[in-house]
Amino acid sequence: MKHVLAALLIALPLAAPAQDRAGMIRGIVEEEIVGGFAELEQAAARLVEVAGQDCTHPGLHDSYAAAFLAWARVSHLRFGPSEEENRAFALAYWPDPRGRTASAIRKMLADGNEDLLAPETYADMSIAVRGFYALDFLMHEKDLAEIGTPEYRCALVRTIVADIHGTTGELAEAWEGFAPMLTEPGADSPYRTEDEVLQVLYKSASTGLEFASDMRLGRPLGTFERPRPNWAEAYRSGLSLQLLQAAVRGAGGLAVRLAADDATLQARLKAELEDFHDSADALGDPVFASVAEPTGRFRVESLQTDLQEVREVVQGELGPALGVSAGFNSMDGD
Amino acid sequence: MPTRRGFLAGLMASGLAPCASWADAGSPAFLAAAKVPSGAFALIGLSATGERLFEIPLPGRGHAAAAHPSRPLAVAFARRPGHFALVIDCVTGETVRRLDTPEGFHFYGHGAFSADGAMLFTTENDYETGRGMIGIWDAAGGFARLGAFPSGGVGPHELRLMPDGEALVVANGGIETHPDAGRQKLNIPTMRPNLSHLAFDGTLLDQAEPPTSWHKNSMRHITVRGDGLVAIACQWQGAMTEVPPLLATHRMGGPLAFHGFGPGAEYDLQGYLGSVAFSGSGEEIAVTGPRGGMAVVTDAEGRVIRRLDQRDICGAAPGVDGFVFTTGEGRMLADNGVTRDLAGHDCAWDNHLVPIG
Repeated sequence: MKHVLAALLIALPLAAPAQDRAGMIRGIVEEEIVGGFAELEQAAARLVEVAGQDCTHPGLHDSYAAAFLAWARVSHLRFGPSEEENRAFALAYWPDPRGRTASAIRKMLADGNEDLLAPETYADMSIAVRGFYALDFLMHEKDLAEIGTPEYRCALVRTIVADIHGTTGELAEAWEGFAPMLTEPGADSPYRTEDEVLQVLYKSASTGLEFASDMRLGRPLGTFERPRPNWAEAYRSGLSLQLLQAAVRGAGGLAVRLAADDATLQARLKAELEDFHDSADALGDPVFASVAEPTGRFRVESLQTDLQEVREVVQGELGPALGVSAGFNSMDGD
Repeated sequence: MPTRRGFLAGLMASGLAPCASWADAGSPAFLAAAKVPSGAFALIGLSATGERLFEIPLPGRGHAAAAHPSRPLAVAFARRPGHFALVIDCVTGETVRRLDTPEGFHFYGHGAFSADGAMLFTTENDYETGRGMIGIWDAAGGFARLGAFPSGGVGPHELRLMPDGEALVVANGGIETHPDAGRQKLNIPTMRPNLSHLAFDGTLLDQAEPPTSWHKNSMRHITVRGDGLVAIACQWQGAMTEVPPLLATHRMGGPLAFHGFGPGAEYDLQGYLGSVAFSGSGEEIAVTGPRGGMAVVTDAEGRVIRRLDQRDICGAAPGVDGFVFTTGEGRMLADNGVTRDLAGHDCAWDNHLVPIG
């Protein structure tokens, strides 16, 4: 009985009027989703422009990083238009434990087949040679300079950049078209109620944070006996930590918005996220290279703990507040 | 290679006198893994009426178990990607063997014994190549590894012995994973699940795939009726705006027949089925949808008969009459058109309810 009362007391302040929730969803859809994918498309367009001038252009790295980070910011949104046509995979094939991107890019460089570089052909290529992670490998892997010609390498950079831009354009357009499905749930939408919309948004936030912790941080951490600094994402370009932070801003920012009904919960989430970003800003190790030595490892592990604390608030409080079932089997099936 | 002496010593230590039977373990009707109130995990034996007959601690969260057809032995699998399985003596509660996958392999969480109990087959991932494998273990001789053969696809999940006792049917879920990337799905855009029938020597006897447009419909859990009809429960990996039917039936040599549950039902299930079972009579099929919080019962042709709304329902097995279901909230239900609580237990039942015998 005591538990029931406690549960009621916790649940009460969250029973906010429906119009608040509609407004919350509209804000998320317009700013985070449609806005986020529009920014990604614009960043990719700038990247096309710079890569078109010269693929050894000094500005290339910056516009590349900006586009990649814009992707990380929305990478937790894996449903709807991102899931359709495998678009998210076409931008981001990672993790890649079998090293498919590396071997496929090496083979392309060695073969030097110009026919593969036509945009319509490239869009049908294996996802291993498409998207940001393929581009990261191609632009930053040191020993590729000895494979094939510099002209082909440069042409391949341009092709991948154009392909990325094509995908981001499709995404921006498709999300804009999909927006009413989220803001006007009902018979004409796959989401029949606001609750269902909130649930899919919640799952995106929760899964995005999980991926950030388990993959973006967990992969380089490896185990104490076997740390894996070379498993950090995009370590070649030095973007690992920035990508992690952008991803947490995206997924964590969504969680904060979803907590709008409960000021206390929202404040706690913001504080946990702030702790995480403070630790990240102070890490001084952009690619988690220090996971192999004790002090560095301690700091990266502690960053992961900060992220776990964010996740605990999201799963333990935000999920139940939004009525998302956290069942033993439903949340963790096989 | 186990030595003869080692084998004999193992047999003695296990207390597995050849005459020990399930009756010595209290004649359980089902096995299920669970999380108990202390937060620990256990393998639990249940009577047909839902009484808890034994509870054996497990070192971590379990997935499924395989029950030996005659001896009171259960093989408990860790959740994927697990590198070991435990052979448990359900009379003494002791672990009598630990099965370790060979280097470069991990278990997927399901296994099946041959009809005479002499061999155990397990679904495995040869993860550097990404090839699905069936491991063979000498259950009559101390569970030595006898070998392995390809499962006919990627990501084999549940496998069952065919009623003739001479072949296996395997659900190759199609999803590629690698333990270095945890449970991340690596090949959703290109995945191709299939249902494969395999002889014990690895010969591929038959294989069926869903239509190309449904290539993201991961076939994972299966059950077989006495006449060889296979029922398949799928998990959709594509967009929720276009969920196809999740239940299929199949007979060797024929195509997969998919059965929709009616407008919006697959969406309500969130594209996800957890378990599948035939009823005791074989006339009905039940699938559970823990994410949708419901089970759907159909006839053997896949036509919907009824729907049970129940939070976190996942385990399903044939009952004396109809079905028995378990939930993540500790409930154990019997259903034959009328649903009644068999028992409520202070634990969270894990994905599967495994019938014995």
